[in-house]
Amino acid sequence: MTGIGNHFREPLFLILLLIATCNAASGQHIQDTLKLKEVEVKASFQIHNEGFKEVRLDSTILLPRLDAKLSTILSQYSTVFIKSYGANNLATPAFRGTTAHHTIIEWNGININSPMLGQIDLSMLPVAQFQGVEILYGAAGLSRNSGAFGGIINLKTSPDWNNRLNLIVSQTLASFHNYTTTLYTEVGNKNFQSHTRVNINTGKNDFPFYNDYTGQREKLTNGAYTQYGFSEDIFGKINNKHLITARVWYNYSDRDNPPQTVNITPYYAENMKENSFRSLVEYKYIHRKFSGTISSALLYNHLHYMSNTDDTKHQYYSFVNRISGNYTGFDKVTIRPGIDLKYDWVNSEKYTSRKQRNVLGGFIEINYAPADAVTFTLMARNDVVDGELMPFIPAVGVEVKPFRKINLSLSANLSRNYSYPSLNDLYWELWGNPELVPEVNYAAEGGITWNLLNPSKSFFIETELSAYYMLMQDMIVWSPTTTSSLIWKPENISEVLSRGIEAGINSTIVFWKSNLDINVTYNYCRSTYEKETNPNGSSVGKQLIYTPIHTMNASLRFEKRGYYFSYLFHFIGRRYLSKENVEYMPGYNLSNIFLGKSFQMKDFMLSLQLEINNLFGLDYQSIAYSPMPGRNFGITLRGNFKKKSGQ
Amino acid sequence: MSYLLTSGSVGINSIVNRFISSFSVLLFGILSILVVSSCSKDPIRPNPGPIDPPSDDSTTFSKGFFIVNEGNFNWGNASVTYIDNSTGTAHQNVFQEVNHRPLGDVAQSMKIMNSRGYIVINASNRVEVVDLKDFKTIKSIEGFNSPRYIEFVDSTKAYVTNLYKDISVVDLVTMTITKTIQTPEWTEGMVKYNNYMFVTCIGEFTEPSSKRKAKLLILDTKEDKIIDSIPTATEPIGIVIDKKMKLWVLCSGGWDGYAAPALIRVNPDLRQVEKAFSFSSADIPSRLDINPSRDTIYYLQNGIYQMPVTASSAPSQPLVSSANHLFYGMAIHPVDGTIFATDAIDYVQSGDAFQYSSSTGAQLNSWETGRIPSSFCFGETQISKK
Repeated sequence: MTGIGNHFREPLFLILLLIATCNAASGQHIQDTLKLKEVEVKASFQIHNEGFKEVRLDSTILLPRLDAKLSTILSQYSTVFIKSYGANNLATPAFRGTTAHHTIIEWNGININSPMLGQIDLSMLPVAQFQGVEILYGAAGLSRNSGAFGGIINLKTSPDWNNRLNLIVSQTLASFHNYTTTLYTEVGNKNFQSHTRVNINTGKNDFPFYNDYTGQREKLTNGAYTQYGFSEDIFGKINNKHLITARVWYNYSDRDNPPQTVNITPYYAENMKENSFRSLVEYKYIHRKFSGTISSALLYNHLHYMSNTDDTKHQYYSFVNRISGNYTGFDKVTIRPGIDLKYDWVNSEKYTSRKQRNVLGGFIEINYAPADAVTFTLMARNDVVDGELMPFIPAVGVEVKPFRKINLSLSANLSRNYSYPSLNDLYWELWGNPELVPEVNYAAEGGITWNLLNPSKSFFIETELSAYYMLMQDMIVWSPTTTSSLIWKPENISEVLSRGIEAGINSTIVFWKSNLDINVTYNYCRSTYEKETNPNGSSVGKQLIYTPIHTMNASLRFEKRGYYFSYLFHFIGRRYLSKENVEYMPGYNLSNIFLGKSFQMKDFMLSLQLEINNLFGLDYQSIAYSPMPGRNFGITLRGNFKKKSGQ
Repeated sequence: MSYLLTSGSVGINSIVNRFISSFSVLLFGILSILVVSSCSKDPIRPNPGPIDPPSDDSTTFSKGFFIVNEGNFNWGNASVTYIDNSTGTAHQNVFQEVNHRPLGDVAQSMKIMNSRGYIVINASNRVEVVDLKDFKTIKSIEGFNSPRYIEFVDSTKAYVTNLYKDISVVDLVTMTITKTIQTPEWTEGMVKYNNYMFVTCIGEFTEPSSKRKAKLLILDTKEDKIIDSIPTATEPIGIVIDKKMKLWVLCSGGWDGYAAPALIRVNPDLRQVEKAFSFSSADIPSRLDINPSRDTIYYLQNGIYQMPVTASSAPSQPLVSSANHLFYGMAIHPVDGTIFATDAIDYVQSGDAFQYSSSTGAQLNSWETGRIPSSFCFGETQISKK
């Protein structure tokens, strides 16, 4: 058997067997499947996370998309709804009917959301800078970070100790003067690995569109951007007992924000220049029944925002430290305790003075498995914010695998979570409100996952169905104050009830020396206002604005003799533009295709790929009056030189 | 696909596996059909939802009044609500209904002259000229620098104040900007007196109130030139003229609460501030208007205050208390003198408009409006013969 791509631990006996017989972590799907005999097993719906939902996107998805941003990948492959203001423009996540600041974006476990905004722009996170994405739904990430009512999206890079040299150079030329260059070096031996990644993305984004407002066909103006990033990850290992990791990631972006179609200011100007630097050092000690990790991260960000009416600079530092342990020495019980210490420092021209925030957090996760088929999990967290003890954050989960030979798993969990106000909510000049209290979320969730690999290993299918119910109270909303409708302040005044169903099917079939993958995810989300912030309003029971009730993604990928073809289908249902649900954006669907050929020459592989986005040339807007590009193309040439141990 | 499953599994396992896989395939099929059937080839654009156009096709938009709904900045959802006086009903979104395109981003104000409506669209930098017969657009005048208000010099010429740079001189016949009068700072309200236009000038828009230099600009309407200016209190946002030909200027004190709000009286002949009433600074005042007989002024400061022009001090109690409303717009009917006000609710849903008696302050009527109702337009503007 050739090296079957499997980045991740698989929970099932069958899959464990598979892993044991193959060389771990190759990550090169295309290369590996050139000599297809069997299904590549890559369960993305995790069923061993003790009652909490987790979904993974691996390099099979990411590698052909090195030119993309996290926002694009999530909108095409996950149930996370991405609110995008245009191609390569601001994009924020929202899942399970929550808002962007209820989604935490992590970089190898470190929260990289801006402490000022409480969120991050996903178009600033190029796929070239990470290898895999972990999506932890709802309470799944509760012990790692508080406040992620929707969930946590973790961008991961990890070492492959069998790698000796993996060199990737990729160049994409795309419509509207968009160019992406990616350089990727992974070099090392069984005790040391170094990853270097460079991405350079530039674009004019001057795509044509029909402007209903002016009644003319126009080209997008002020949509250009330049972004480059550099990262270095160093992994060291001593005696399989000590693991040391050091990472840095620098990202620069200079982006113009295009005007909306209804804004025809001739001198329109809006620009954001952002420098961000992230570093992370981690030491992990692994003993037979115990492992412990100490990590320390320093994050720096400088944003210069300019528009016709504004010219302000904002900078922040976050210093994030964590000590955590994992002890399996008790019978049937695993304990994972830890302590967090986070310090945020903000210097913004929109704050009256420099502001800081200290968060000291203690957490513990206890797994108890009374029988092989049953696991109970208890998670608990308590934070002290600026010396003030915050409410207790607990979660309980259970997972049951009722059948011995059927990979069926049932899970359920209950949780309470708190989200602290962002520093902008607290301290924005004149309008910030230091009296804000944390938002609270009460959530219940249940799910089923099932998978099957047939004995001849020519067919693999996995399905997932989950349902959730969340009540969020004391939600922070900016609204006009009673003293003047001109002064707005954030207040803990809203209440939202979100409930929904997520379903997913992934399957892989091997036949005629070819490989067919079909993935489908569907998301039903009713997220409604439950409390009127103004006695004269009429929004109770109505769907949140810009929150679709239905979303669906489907992808089909066919591969034979190095040729591959992918079809991606993306559907977003109606989104309301008013709280009483009158105005709306109609639902739409988009299709993208990818066609490629990989040429293998010993250790070197050359791939040529053509992508067509918005295949049917739909004239659409995702955000009202923000034009989106019609049919557009991209050509990618990628060279990959790869040497592994034992080769 | 299920044939693939048969080889290894037996009994309950096989049944469960078959059931789930069949179920999955079925689910996939249903979803695909659902999605494909919901596809549409129409351009995906904001849909205003159900609209209730005037039921009678012969409606001429001249028997009622208009509420201008500002809409959210950058949302492009400005609209005009028409209230038909004969039926008392509100018709939403009349511009889009008639012209099949959005009105634009942030509708600031509207005035009528010679059966034409002039709607000033701030963030879209347009003045939309509509025919009051059918509300069809006659022309979209472009080239403004964030326009605020329009005031007619005569039946062929108007001035438009802007947030930036200048005051635009508009030829109402050709419907073009013929000239711009440079003003380094943000200009707002206007009142015509003899051959002069008195324009409130707030100061540099991008600067905080502490740095702004507020004044009243005096323009010669024959030569379209600034000929003089009078310093005022901070942020002069509204101006009216009373029956004794005195100007009243409402100064909010600054959106950031920099100074105490004030109402000042200006003698336009002597070009001097004659009197200043200062207010409590707890609430920031925002709108100013005058009754038809021009002897009583009204302003919005949370509640609606009524003040005779002869008063020696500002009223301590509002005529209409805000109660459970958060008033955003306020205007006085130019003929019957009743008070109109709007509540924008939470700014993310339709607002409300109300009519109150000017003698008792009692509510007479209410209507639903569009998003963020901010100003009113009651009919043909009378060119003052003063």
